[in-house]
Amino acid sequence: MKSKDGTPLKIALYGMDDRAYKTMCMYLKGPCKGIAVVVDESEAEIDLLDADHIKAKELLDQLQARKPNRPLIILSLEEILLDGTIYVKKPVETADVLAALKQAKVSLSTDDSKKVKVRAKSETEQKIEPSSSHIPKSKKESVAEEIVPAAKNIDKEEKKKVSKHRTAMDLTEGGFSAYIGNVDGVNFSDHEQVLKASYNPKGYFLGYVQSAIKVCKAKSRILQLNSGWKPLIVFPHSQEIWLDVEDKQLRAFAGVAISKNGAKAMSLTPIDQSKFDIKEKMEGFFDSDHFLWKLAIWTSKGRFPDTIDINKPVYLMQWPNFTRLVVTPHAMRIAALLIRGPRTAMSIANALNIKPQYVFVFISAANVLGIVGQAKRQVDELISPPEVQPTKAKGLLSRILGRLRG
Amino acid sequence: MSQYKIIFTGPVGAGKTTAIDSISDVPPVKTDAAASDMTKNRKAATTVAMDYGIMNLDDGEKIHLYGTPGQERFDFMWDILTVGGIGLVLLLDNTRADPFKDMQFFLDSFGKFISETSVSIGITQMDLSSKPSINEYHKYLQGSDLKPAIFAVDARVKNDVSLLVQALLFSLDPGLEDE
Repeated sequence: MKSKDGTPLKIALYGMDDRAYKTMCMYLKGPCKGIAVVVDESEAEIDLLDADHIKAKELLDQLQARKPNRPLIILSLEEILLDGTIYVKKPVETADVLAALKQAKVSLSTDDSKKVKVRAKSETEQKIEPSSSHIPKSKKESVAEEIVPAAKNIDKEEKKKVSKHRTAMDLTEGGFSAYIGNVDGVNFSDHEQVLKASYNPKGYFLGYVQSAIKVCKAKSRILQLNSGWKPLIVFPHSQEIWLDVEDKQLRAFAGVAISKNGAKAMSLTPIDQSKFDIKEKMEGFFDSDHFLWKLAIWTSKGRFPDTIDINKPVYLMQWPNFTRLVVTPHAMRIAALLIRGPRTAMSIANALNIKPQYVFVFISAANVLGIVGQAKRQVDELISPPEVQPTKAKGLLSRILGRLRG
Repeated sequence: MSQYKIIFTGPVGAGKTTAIDSISDVPPVKTDAAASDMTKNRKAATTVAMDYGIMNLDDGEKIHLYGTPGQERFDFMWDILTVGGIGLVLLLDNTRADPFKDMQFFLDSFGKFISETSVSIGITQMDLSSKPSINEYHKYLQGSDLKPAIFAVDARVKNDVSLLVQALLFSLDPGLEDE
């Protein structure tokens, strides 16, 4: 984990008395095997702050003002997830400190690489590509704070995020087309056309939002995606999206392929807090999974993403959190079947006797959440999945289902 | 006529009584009593025997909804309750000190019943404490044989409880269709 030339990472310590300072110096030399060496602030690449120090807040403010882009590791007894920082719980474990230093080093290297790779539009604005792994570098990034409550804590603000906690919309086949809209040039009653109806997520707003989330996570920063439309803000720690827009507007925007000019307008910037106060619009907060799921449905419109080969089996890693997502027709049945083992999209459609576009829309949405993968084991293609065997109580269970669905 | 039942379990205050109330066709029979032990730190009244509700099906069949008492000292009742059960709905309170430990405890306690039927898990109070996240619950179960549906649930909302029970039914048979 030392630098490529073998030199240790240079780290500055804050919020420690003499004894703690010396102990940490020895700890880095000993248990951490000298991967980092303590230096003065002026020489340091990384800062490390004991957040339980009496003046920790003051020190933190100073550090973030002086060196906003320098990786900062925070040690604390209580969990503190602060935008742009790396948290290590006290009493520290060597593995945690090593992991934090590794993350800080990655952050340093990505910043360095961006100096070459990224063509900044301005000092405070970066161009982004859909689903790229580029990390934007900004010299004037605002230090927006986001404190995530630790378990056991009650977050009074959380209740105000009504959109985030709203129960699912359960779509029937009848309501499906009206909800997702149509795709020009695809006749979904023509089986042949359905099987060729793919789309490239990168060519839509979906791809840019996915890319923005990726960048914000890697950078551990809250950033604003500008699209020439409505500003969208990504909160990576709490996995939230903020967007002040009605569903019908978002649906329309999601379904339109982004032109070259539109792509040029896409950028990530620090939040311009002077333009709006987020806390005044708490209903604009969405769980990022819920948002991506919905966006994927409106982008797919019954087509499958071209990143998935529909002739090869896919697998489902976990059930989607259906109570907070839009439940497309047969989505629960598809999930229940796919969680049992890999299948091709057509095998799912045949086993459940449903139209392929319902499977495609599910795969599209689950794919953006990263819970669907293309099966790569040879055995999954060699052996047909087992037929769905009805349970003895199928009639009873179906009647319960009918009763629940009213 | 056989007695068909769905079992609701989970720790004190997870919302079992409320969840049954959400989907029951009759006012549920509650056996709450004023809490007099450590339970009182979480709620004023708690279930000391079991809760009971009914879902009436179109053909006259009744589905009995049983809520287990949350306190562990009543766990001798759990085996009796599960006999002939269709499946298990496990509710966990996200504001409790260690919801993973709660989950493990109930999955272990009902392990035999789950292996013979299925389980779906609802996480309540996520609007008060969003951590652990649903993904973290799934990660916790990685490596076990279980891949249950785990949903954020507001036990007062009928649609949430309904989807949780639907997931349980589809886990038993993905081929189910409405009748």
